[in-house]
Amino acid sequence: MARQRSILMLVLVLAISAIVALVNLPVRLGLDLQGGTQLTLQAQTTAAVPEITPEKLEAVRSVVERRINALGVSESVVQTIGRDQLLVQLPGVSDPAQAERVLGGTAQLDFRAQRAGTEAQLPIEFRVRQELLIEQIQLEGSADVEAIAQKQAALERSNEAIAGLFDKTELTGEKLSNAYAAPGTGSAWEVGLEFNTQGGVEFAQLTASVAGTGRSLGIFLDDELLSAPSVDVRYAETGITGGRASISGGFGAEGANDLALQLRSGALPVPVVILENRTVGATLGRDSIQRSIYAGLSGLSLVLVFMVLYYRLPGLIADFSLLIYALLTFAIFTLLEVTLTLPGIAGFILSIGMAVDANVLIFERTREELRAGKTLYRSVESGFYRAFSSILDGNVTTLIACIALYFLGTGLVKGFALTLAIGVAVSMFTALTCSRTLLLTVLSVPSLRKSEYFCPNLPPSNSQAKATS
Amino acid sequence: MKIQVIKQRTLWWTVSTAIIVVGFLSMLISWQQFGSPLRPSLDFVGGTRLQLELACAATDTCEGPIDPSTVRQILAEQGLEGSSIQVVGDQQQALSVRTSTLATDEREALIQSLSDELGAFDPNLIQIDTVGPTLGRQIFTSGLLALGASFLGIMVYISLRFQTDFAAFAILALVHDVLVTMGVFSLLGLLFNVEVDSLFIVALLTIVGFSVNDTVVIYDRVRETIQANPTHHINDIVDEAVNQTLTRSINTTATTLLPLIGIFLFGGDTLKFFALALIVGFMAGVYSSVFVASSLLAFWRERTGFAYVSTLPEAEPADSSP
Repeated sequence: MARQRSILMLVLVLAISAIVALVNLPVRLGLDLQGGTQLTLQAQTTAAVPEITPEKLEAVRSVVERRINALGVSESVVQTIGRDQLLVQLPGVSDPAQAERVLGGTAQLDFRAQRAGTEAQLPIEFRVRQELLIEQIQLEGSADVEAIAQKQAALERSNEAIAGLFDKTELTGEKLSNAYAAPGTGSAWEVGLEFNTQGGVEFAQLTASVAGTGRSLGIFLDDELLSAPSVDVRYAETGITGGRASISGGFGAEGANDLALQLRSGALPVPVVILENRTVGATLGRDSIQRSIYAGLSGLSLVLVFMVLYYRLPGLIADFSLLIYALLTFAIFTLLEVTLTLPGIAGFILSIGMAVDANVLIFERTREELRAGKTLYRSVESGFYRAFSSILDGNVTTLIACIALYFLGTGLVKGFALTLAIGVAVSMFTALTCSRTLLLTVLSVPSLRKSEYFCPNLPPSNSQAKATS
Repeated sequence: MKIQVIKQRTLWWTVSTAIIVVGFLSMLISWQQFGSPLRPSLDFVGGTRLQLELACAATDTCEGPIDPSTVRQILAEQGLEGSSIQVVGDQQQALSVRTSTLATDEREALIQSLSDELGAFDPNLIQIDTVGPTLGRQIFTSGLLALGASFLGIMVYISLRFQTDFAAFAILALVHDVLVTMGVFSLLGLLFNVEVDSLFIVALLTIVGFSVNDTVVIYDRVRETIQANPTHHINDIVDEAVNQTLTRSINTTATTLLPLIGIFLFGGDTLKFFALALIVGFMAGVYSSVFVASSLLAFWRERTGFAYVSTLPEAEPADSSP
């Protein structure tokens, strides 16, 4: 009796702490439920970086994280997955276009010096490119896929030709201390740059080397010429000092902002592509969660009713321990900071099914023992005792499947496996401890010690049986 | 109620085989039509899906339902002729478009021209899914790997707790459940254009985890009955064990199916077919546990001359109940 009382106390304490935890800790909802954007990025190898090492991926991650933070999305998450992928979660973002643009660009900015003897060639190549760009804009929106592809190829050739006219220097975007968008002449915007000390010195050297020569300074973003300003002859001695510059390259306000943001957060060491984009509008997620939860809950309440109708007094106790089960499981979710996704909720509902199963196994066994003529108390005891191996084996095999799912599965699958596994583990506890103790406690009340409350239609000799506890 | 598991085993086996054969045929036809045994969703083949709902639908100020031919024309202008277009929603004021994989700018341009023509969309009800084709393969192979690993784990566990032949037939029953579910969804794909997504793989794995539970409960009873009556023929033992656990099998399946049926009928679109896959799989699971795994075990022991436990070379492992 003392043991039962202490277990009851334990269950009570656990239930109260679960309620406290649930009230004080927020339930973390997945993006499919609260709305938002989830992007999967893949780091690409290049000629210079033939392999994505964990360090490289980590470097990509920190740049991506800085860019996300600069976008001002709260509670965003950036995780590495596998060998070369990143998962970016942006809660509440239902228009992912800006995020995709900002994340997709490498933003490798560098300053180059024009080669001597190419003074005549540059304006020609530049004009060729401008014409190609205009033609491409005209083609945009037309259905002529082939012409667009041809234009794209021509443009790439032109870009390469232009890049061939310049020599690379040491001055890159890494030597920037700040970048910001500023209005330029007319409606055009510029990106203002501030160099760090070393960058300032190098910029002065570079500008001094081309000043007054008729050659220009090339500002390249991802190997594409943005602008090619020439430097006035008066800077030939010292170069442009002070560590400031600005790039104009036909930016609109949005483009200038995006570039400034990318430059501030640093260049990606390797290019990334967006493999996957899953965006769910805020209310769409909410609708879907509500409908599924209501549907699941109404099904569950039918289960509760069924348990009482079919298993009577033990059914009622099982319902009570199921409620405790749900409370405990949910509290563990919030304590372990499990993110609830739709499959996660499905896993939870399923685990309730497993929890019910444990009770069904026990009560069926109890009835068999009663029908075999045992006393009520002994029947309940041996119901639990004999059902134990079934419950254990059944739950362990389900856990094995969960472990396989958790370690080998991807995003959605993982969430599902985790909630199901937690559910199965807790259900073992509630079925074997909570239901059992409550049932034995109930048996200590003489007026409830009637076999009819446990099993209908017993042969008359059995229904007279009294508990002998 | 008493089921003649052994006597009517030809019937049980025929039913299972017939369903699986129909499923295989359907998968074969699917293979010819879209190169995969089930109709694959975006998750596996890659592409972009946009789901948009007109903002005016909330206030009921739309001029009328969306005309699919207008949408088709806009898509054609963008060079996206092969896309599938579905007008959805109660008032036909929502749109689901599936295209080849679109880059950000292409997608923005498409949404822009759609909303220019049809009216503004509600940003809170938008859904965008873009999946690169390589990612789909990744989901698929990792799912397959997880399935294989869980089969192996279950096999080892059951071999340890019971015996190797128990484990072999349990796995066979699981393969049966997976095949039945795949067959049903292959048929649904052919007849009603139901697609399978990555949640379907989750569903298959859940079915495995859940259905093995049914099998194990019956096995547990077989083991117990063998110990209680070591002189009985395996056929009688299996018959008795199945019938003793039958109420439990039915009640458990019923209580698990209730919430799932609720989700299938009234739940959000995302989980509808997930719930259906589980419903089909769980029913296949309880069937295979009650009728297939048990009768095959009896058949095997009878054939190999181990119908009586005393003729077994080694003793049953001791029941390790507490």
